[in-house]
Amino acid sequence: MKRIALLLLVAACGGTYQAPPPVASIALPDGSQLKPYDPAQPGQARPQGLAQAAGRVYVTLTNQRDGNPNPVNAGPGFLAAFVPSTGAITLIDLGGSDGKQCQNAGSVRTSADGYLYANCSGNFSGTDAARAIVEVNPLSNTVTRRGVIPDGRVPNGVAASARKIWTGNAALPGPPTVFSIDRTSFTADATAPVLVDCQKSIYSYVADVMTIGGDIYALCASDISGELYRLDPDTGAIKAHTTVGPIPTELAGLDDGRIVVVNAGDNTLTVVTPTASGLDARIALTFASGTSNLQDVRAFGRTVFTVASGNNTAQRIDLDAQGGAKVVAEANFGEGAMPWNILPLDDTQAIVSNRGTNTIAAANWVTAK
Amino acid sequence: MPPSRVFPRYLLPFAMAAAAAARAQEPGETIEVQGERRQGSPRAPAAAATVVDMAQFGGEVRSVAEMLSTAPGVSIHALGGPGQTATLSLRGASADQSLVLLDGIPLQGPGGGAVDLSTLPATILDRMVVSRGVLGAQFGAGALGGVLELLPRSARGSWTGGAEASVGSFGTERLALDAAMPAGNGSALVALQGDRTSGDFEYARQRTPEISGSPYYGFTRENGDATRGSGLLRISQELSGDLGLDLLLQGSAGVRGLPGPSSAPTPHSREFDADGVAGLRLRGSSGDTTWSMRASGRLDRSELQGVLAFGGCEDGTPDCPRQDQRSSSARAEGELALPVGEANSLHLLLSGGGEWVHGTTGGRRRGLVSAAVRDDLTLAAGFSLHPAVRLDKVGTQNGLSPGITAQWKPAPEHPLSLRAGWGLSYRAPTFTELYLERGGIAANPDLRPERAWSVDAAAEWRLALLTLSATAFWSSYRELILYQLFPPARVKPFNVGQARIAGVELQAVVPLPAHLLATVSYSLLDAVNRADGHKLAYRPPHRLFARLARRGDRLEGYGEASFTSAIPRNAFDTAFVDSQLLLNAGIGVRAAGPLWVDVEAKNLLDKRTYEDLFQYPLPGLSIALIARARL
Repeated sequence: MKRIALLLLVAACGGTYQAPPPVASIALPDGSQLKPYDPAQPGQARPQGLAQAAGRVYVTLTNQRDGNPNPVNAGPGFLAAFVPSTGAITLIDLGGSDGKQCQNAGSVRTSADGYLYANCSGNFSGTDAARAIVEVNPLSNTVTRRGVIPDGRVPNGVAASARKIWTGNAALPGPPTVFSIDRTSFTADATAPVLVDCQKSIYSYVADVMTIGGDIYALCASDISGELYRLDPDTGAIKAHTTVGPIPTELAGLDDGRIVVVNAGDNTLTVVTPTASGLDARIALTFASGTSNLQDVRAFGRTVFTVASGNNTAQRIDLDAQGGAKVVAEANFGEGAMPWNILPLDDTQAIVSNRGTNTIAAANWVTAK
Repeated sequence: MPPSRVFPRYLLPFAMAAAAAARAQEPGETIEVQGERRQGSPRAPAAAATVVDMAQFGGEVRSVAEMLSTAPGVSIHALGGPGQTATLSLRGASADQSLVLLDGIPLQGPGGGAVDLSTLPATILDRMVVSRGVLGAQFGAGALGGVLELLPRSARGSWTGGAEASVGSFGTERLALDAAMPAGNGSALVALQGDRTSGDFEYARQRTPEISGSPYYGFTRENGDATRGSGLLRISQELSGDLGLDLLLQGSAGVRGLPGPSSAPTPHSREFDADGVAGLRLRGSSGDTTWSMRASGRLDRSELQGVLAFGGCEDGTPDCPRQDQRSSSARAEGELALPVGEANSLHLLLSGGGEWVHGTTGGRRRGLVSAAVRDDLTLAAGFSLHPAVRLDKVGTQNGLSPGITAQWKPAPEHPLSLRAGWGLSYRAPTFTELYLERGGIAANPDLRPERAWSVDAAAEWRLALLTLSATAFWSSYRELILYQLFPPARVKPFNVGQARIAGVELQAVVPLPAHLLATVSYSLLDAVNRADGHKLAYRPPHRLFARLARRGDRLEGYGEASFTSAIPRNAFDTAFVDSQLLLNAGIGVRAAGPLWVDVEAKNLLDKRTYEDLFQYPLPGLSIALIARARL
């Protein structure tokens, strides 16, 4: 019954309405609200992934404090639920009974039946107990299940299919693999992980996985290249793959079946078109600024949204503009904002998660003439 | 993330010297005989070299980095405005691949690597010699791009002295004093320099750079201040017979803000640094044989406050630890030069010591042992040969560095000379690269030494003050250590590079009527990653420098232009730092007696949109007023 209700909500969210304008900036919780392990050393929200469910937006909070050399997981991973037009926030603790069963929450995605799934990467060692895939019911804003990750793997990205939850392995230096969690038992499948490799010089890892058009797509990233894989959602069997740009970070599906990938290495946007024989990739856009450091891409219909942490900007892109893909609008979120992920609310409005300033901010677009 | 590179060549020593010679005599100042040549490094005869004579820049507020950038084959990587970090790149080599020596003593940064040129006081130096090429045989492991030798002012046997004071834009001030005097059976020199800047210049940047024609907005640089004090003491004593003793002490300490890139300013990040160098040399001769023994040591310390992987933090808060980094070295060396016959001079060197580093991730040390032999052969028909070989043991890593240079002149006084050189060497990874974790920069203890070889050839035409020269070089690097983006959000050094760097260096020094001297230098750099064919990042393909200067006994002035073409910013040929054109000019008059008053303007076009390789804004128009006197 609960699942049906979720489905209805998901369906209701898929219309063509114009979203209510989001508030300009939402400050995310900090200090004791993030349940620090050491009250004297609380973490900061350091938000990342964004997803919509049940009429709200959900953002993962890594809950880290700055450290030298690496950020330190200062408390459990969180999901923060909010309504963009009002800014009211509800926190969902993903850490379990001891607060340490999920740390460093990264991506969050919605399944077709309305549940939320987030991956917790822990401390990236691949051996800590804070690595997990967490299932959240957005109707009750509670954690319903938690899947433990086998040792040696660092979950990165999450994609839900009807019977599996897929995630990628970001343990360095590799090899890059994807593996699944059975949605019934919510335990990692015993089958061997699927190798989704790409040409590398130093390292390779899985940057993200996503469900697009019923299939699972996995993005292998390396220091010199990238490869997009199309996998069977039930078995993980590789159906096709194609080379994209170096150090790809994220991917997104358009409603016409095309897939877009942003490549941080060379500041490009790749468009991948599924064909009968496989996947056809081409570079659609090279960003003019050499400092973009592309972090995310999302799509609403056929409008593409990207975010660049290097210069604190987000872009709205018309892929089919005359003369080729074109940035039609750009927004700046201020010095030090470090926007990380973006979520389109409709074909013109979008919000970003700012890792630097620990805020959710609405894009105030400057439109190209 | 940072890097660098390579090149050029030769001929400038003389250009700069010629410029100095061209200027008219100042009261109390020694003038060089017209046409006298400032030679390159005696350690590397016939190597591609440029001498930058500090006297040429009298009446100008110049940093060491600014003066070096006038030479071909030199690139300066500057992090923003005055007082901020600047590192040297020779022939496209990284700063770590270029040795910096103060009176022969190797300098290093606090992490055991690149030297920050902004910590070197310009006014205590007499001249700088830039030798280019793989010169490990002549100078030791690490000299893959070349060597910068800093030659401090010399002690003198009579009382002389000078003072210089300047004030300028952005609260920039400098005071420099020096005095040389007789002392015991020799001479002594004391030189002091103090610098201060607020660094609060205005700059402009686009907030939406992907939108064509989007406006530039004005900002004021914050936390860009810097204060530094430096000193030099030199004492030379003649002992009994042919024995002499030389003491050198040099120190510098400074504090500065670390303003961060324009996209992510760090208003609370600060750095304190201090360094000191000491050297004691005993020298002597017996007949035509000369020898020297020297003990030297170096201490460097840097403390970062409010610095984190993701920008800055507030010093003193629990999660904002200070990062203290210290390095030191000590070594003893002996050198012997003995003639073998009339046309052959043999040079032997033995050196041993160690270096230490201590940072947030613990301490490390390693031994240093070197043995070298070099021969200067004068052959018939105007040929000379300079073969050299050196063995360096850096910690557990050994390497042999052979090299040879050759020169031909039709006759001793003939204006034409041709030369060529070849060298092969290696560079051991620095402590920083191996062990020191700093913010977003990771270490890699598995690094192997970089290896490189190069060849170059040059032709020079020199007639009195006229100098025309052209040099071409080709170098090959393997096991190149490059910083790579390392997920999730750091950079880390790896032995991933195989590079080919080739280039051309052109130089013209032309005397003109009315005591004018024109200097033009051009550097072409083609730096390619052999693994994928892409250009190496951070290497400017073209650099052009032109200067017209007049020196007189009452009026002096200069105008100069410096052009740097667009520089690759990433490893995939898709991002570039925009090209930059800087125009500077200055004029000065002798106001009374030895007192000169000068005014100079830098960045006359007031371009406020320039940034360095790492998004640090560069200052627009600045004006300085300088008063100086020399007795």
